Amino acid sequence: MVKRFLFVAVLGTVLIQQWACKKEDADPGDAVMELSIPVGFPYPNIPSDNLPTQNRIDLGKMLFFDPILSRDSTVACGSCHLPEHKMTDVLALSTGIDSQKTIRNAMTILNVAYQPYLFWDGGVPTLEQQVLAPISNPHEMDYDVNLVVERLKKHAVYPDMFQKAYDQEPTVYSFTRAIACYERTLFTGKSRYDRFLYDKDSSALTPSELNGKSIFFGERGECFHCHGEYNFTDYSFRNNGLYEIYTDSGRARITLDPHDNGKFKVPSLRNVALTPPYMHDGSIATLEAVVEHYNSGGKANPNKSGLIKPLGLTESEKKDLVNFLKALTDE
Amino acid sequence: MKKFHFLFIALMVFASASFVGCNKDEETGPTTEKISLHLHSMVGTDEAAYGITYHDGSGRQFNLSDFRYYLSNFVLIKESGEEVPLSGVVLLASPAAHQYELGEVPSGSYKGFRFLVGLDSATNHTDPTIYPADNPLSIQSPGIHWDWNSGYIFMKIEGYVDTTLNADGSPDFEYFYHVGMDELKRTIDFSTSAFEVKSGADAELALEFDLLKALSNVEMRTENETHTFNNMPLAEKIADNWQSAFSVMPE
Repeated sequence: MVKRFLFVAVLGTVLIQQWACKKEDADPGDAVMELSIPVGFPYPNIPSDNLPTQNRIDLGKMLFFDPILSRDSTVACGSCHLPEHKMTDVLALSTGIDSQKTIRNAMTILNVAYQPYLFWDGGVPTLEQQVLAPISNPHEMDYDVNLVVERLKKHAVYPDMFQKAYDQEPTVYSFTRAIACYERTLFTGKSRYDRFLYDKDSSALTPSELNGKSIFFGERGECFHCHGEYNFTDYSFRNNGLYEIYTDSGRARITLDPHDNGKFKVPSLRNVALTPPYMHDGSIATLEAVVEHYNSGGKANPNKSGLIKPLGLTESEKKDLVNFLKALTDE
Repeated sequence: MKKFHFLFIALMVFASASFVGCNKDEETGPTTEKISLHLHSMVGTDEAAYGITYHDGSGRQFNLSDFRYYLSNFVLIKESGEEVPLSGVVLLASPAAHQYELGEVPSGSYKGFRFLVGLDSATNHTDPTIYPADNPLSIQSPGIHWDWNSGYIFMKIEGYVDTTLNADGSPDFEYFYHVGMDELKRTIDFSTSAFEVKSGADAELALEFDLLKALSNVEMRTENETHTFNNMPLAEKIADNWQSAFSVMPE
């Protein structure tokens, strides 16, 4: 009897040890990581079912640059969000499937982890859900997410990667999560302005840029009310007087409220010098012309923000403001 | 000693089991019964089906290639006025299906019920990828979710219509009625349509939805496209017809 008890006890110990060993040998790519955040930025909110791991990020990155998501396998997320252009395509309107034009300018997705809602009209509340929209959009990828899953299941390497990353086969749930997980790792926040601000390097900005900074943050320009804080946006929806009559209703497309007609989400200004053209429709080609637009006070529109009014900036002030905006480019 | 213990426990179990049994027999209170919705989607007096040619109110020919709608938030109203909400029940009605499970409710007399065509705002904006494939809200229900505004199409009516002036052609012009967005959910009120949930029997609500009534003031020749946001007046017109398009089927 005692012998039998001992045998069971020993066997149990061996099994527990083996289990513990297996734990130690666990895939390091499966460990939840801490994202590396620019100085002065808060840690972003991340959904608990999609915490970052290397396996998830690798899978999301591969999907992001893979045209497998589009009907004829020609368009990837990365076709319009190009790393060499700070995740934009520097086109007024993007080119989707069958060489079609999209209806709006492709925003950068750097610092997208902080966006409280996605798109120029804020129509989608999470990064995971955002993934669905360009796939079904007939001008962008024109495909069905359920057919994307069928393709992924037949792929040589994806099924194994999904298993490692999300412990399941490719599904709409897991592939939208993977892409969002990768996108949340894309940060920007190391410009000369940041060096000036956080490293207390007073030589980081030229006198002209410093004057531009005063205009930006002061009553001369009032730019900071909307383009404030670490990401140079308050994510509000504003009509900036670009048109008297808008062909794109903007935020009103989502709220159906006529007061939201012509309102669009305030974009970040980080790397703004590298991401022309500007506005929701890419209708302004240069930073100089953007400053000119705001200096003029914009066109008459009942929904125009009260902050958009003639500024009366001198030529040299305009130049200084543009120079400050150029100092927001990552080093 | 051990044997005694065993016997004692067995006796206890037996005693409590019979006590529960007794209780049930003596109680005359309500039982819990299954309830389902029996629903027929109609085009006038004909059953709705894909590929059949129908005539609208003015005699114009049209057909259907997709006709689906969400019903949710059923609330049953007891004789006493107490409300029994069937929380979490969402169904996606389509012409071929007639029977939809609604859940379980207490037996007794009910003085009426109500439900939504469409979805409450919270449900409308959930992530469609989180639902299992057989859930009506899942992304696997094709073409019934608007990805760009994160909301569901509450009622989708698609097909072809004759757009000739004198309605003497054939249905060859594609029409779309996609009605959705929070503002266009509608409560369908049958608060005075009494029914009984009998003890020991499955209960059923029986309804008809008549598409011709839903399109009664829609001129299909000219009013043939709405994705709601791009043609709100037309979407609203259809949504405002939903109450009159439903009727309780005679038993």
